Amino acid sequence: MDKTAPTVPEEQRFILTSVSPSWGQKRLALGVVLASLVAFCIMAGPLSTFQLRQIDAFVPAYGTAIFVNDLITAVLLFNQFAILRSRASLAIASGYLFAGLIVIPWLLTFPGVFTPGGLLGAGLQSTAWLSVLRYLGFPAFVIAYALLKDADPPKRLWEGSMGATIFSSVAISAAVVCTVTVLVIASDAYLPPISIDRVRFSSFWLYLASCLILWNAVAITLLWIHQRSVLDLWLMVALCTYAIEIYLSAFVGPARFSAAWIAARIFGFVSSILVLSVLLYEITTLYAQLLRAIMAQRHEREARLMTGDAVAAAIAHEVRQPVSAMITNAETAVRWLDRSMPNLDKARAALKRIAVDGHRAGALIGSIRAMFKTNARHRTSFDINELIKEVIVMVRSDLQRHRISVQTDPNLRVRQVIGDRIQLQQVLLNLIANAIDSMASEDGPRVLSVKSEVVDSDIMIASKDVDRIFNPLFTTKPDGMGMGLSICRSIIEAHEGRLWFVGNTPRGAVFQFVLPIAAA
Amino acid sequence: MSRERLIAVIDDDESFRVALVDSLSSLGYGARGFASAEEFIAGDGTEPYDCVITDIHMPSMGGFDLKRRLLAHGSRLPVIMITAHEEPGLEARAAAIGAVCVLRKPFEADALTHCLERALKA
Repeated sequence: MDKTAPTVPEEQRFILTSVSPSWGQKRLALGVVLASLVAFCIMAGPLSTFQLRQIDAFVPAYGTAIFVNDLITAVLLFNQFAILRSRASLAIASGYLFAGLIVIPWLLTFPGVFTPGGLLGAGLQSTAWLSVLRYLGFPAFVIAYALLKDADPPKRLWEGSMGATIFSSVAISAAVVCTVTVLVIASDAYLPPISIDRVRFSSFWLYLASCLILWNAVAITLLWIHQRSVLDLWLMVALCTYAIEIYLSAFVGPARFSAAWIAARIFGFVSSILVLSVLLYEITTLYAQLLRAIMAQRHEREARLMTGDAVAAAIAHEVRQPVSAMITNAETAVRWLDRSMPNLDKARAALKRIAVDGHRAGALIGSIRAMFKTNARHRTSFDINELIKEVIVMVRSDLQRHRISVQTDPNLRVRQVIGDRIQLQQVLLNLIANAIDSMASEDGPRVLSVKSEVVDSDIMIASKDVDRIFNPLFTTKPDGMGMGLSICRSIIEAHEGRLWFVGNTPRGAVFQFVLPIAAA
Repeated sequence: MSRERLIAVIDDDESFRVALVDSLSSLGYGARGFASAEEFIAGDGTEPYDCVITDIHMPSMGGFDLKRRLLAHGSRLPVIMITAHEEPGLEARAAAIGAVCVLRKPFEADALTHCLERALKA
């Protein structure tokens, strides 16, 4: 294969067939298996001889439930296949589809459900053999899944058309089920007898059941060897209950409608609903996680927009200066040339000034672009004093407008801190913008002081009632957004730092934050 | 033309200050540039300015401060204010303390001469 193999996309980490199970899930799975074993022991022991009255509605209700469960599971798994494009998920999806579809002939041929002998011209053995084939088929698909999923994943990715693939595997499953049904019914007389009459099973069924349980064990072992994901874990649990179902219906109550047979059907139901519930649970959980991620992203963007507004105003002001000079110079040059005695020297000087201003504007735009180019979420070590200087330049016009003097006290001991430069720039911008806004309404001297210093990592922070200020909805500004400070705090905390606030004497406030420094 | 009108241009942005001074001289006015209001005040007395064009936002003393200071000293020197900010309401504030007009950068020569004519007529 000379073209590049499709690589496994990163989002697979959030897809069910790739997510590894948590400890809680493993414990829960073990719990389900143990509970099944307890229920099995009760059924195999004290209740084994208990015979129930035949309930006519039981078989159709059971069959329909299994059919619907398996079909929905198959749909969800085909969906996984469409996303993952792995042959393994196609195999397991087809397995559930097969298990669901074969319930239809099983139900139709079941004696006494529709007609006393069963529909489709069924013989005495048809129903039993169909369920044997179901017990045989599903573990086979699971084995295919287990073997395919680890075999060099990138090369096993499906490259054909998704719709066509799913359609053909649905068609093949349906065809297989139809063929099997026809064969089973046609060769009823030649098949080794499982049923003695419409209720009781033969002793041959015991040998067959032993083989089927072994077959299940093979599937469980293979899954165990290749286990990786949530789906693998619960497939193992499902196969365990499957095995219990087979054991119960063969060895404990080898007759239809015995208590053990009913219990076996219930185990079958549990088995079929397990993976479905897990799939639904995981999908809902992933959806919630996705929602949280989107909300967090939106908050981050809002924080950017908020300061972005102030940044845009500062940029507009900076760019407007050279542009205004260029326009005035251009008009002046035209006037010098329009005179009856054109003053070429003056015009030339004005044109040269335009070129200089143009370069200034260009350099300005270049520096703005460079400022925003830094890769977001990228942590580097950088000089915090440089960042402070940069931010003060960005808000210079605002500081001037409100006649706020700035004291910066660069501490040379503080050199490199670790963090996302852009995010920390937003934090500083937000804090300074807040300081400017609250000072703008104050009389008396207005001083903005920005300092950096090295502190011990075990510094104690006395923050009691001041936490209220970080509440997203708390704001002292009539038109301000209270979100700013809480976002600053989230950013700092994401950097393993802390942001807090104390009152200053005789007036004003001090916002402090700590960040880890780069190891020297 | 009688005596050449002399205009003081106060702006901390050098490139715009130089451009405006040259623009005024191409319009037939005499013009001097000052980087700050303090510089303008320090060199007073010797030259009789007919009008002041000053930036509103400058470090330390701004255009409004200068106008108030001139008023306090009993000066009737007409003042035209210029700004690169978008802050609303500057026109009203300027008019309240007697400035002739406010020009927002970038402005055209016609707007400038119109303002100057009003200022010098007074």
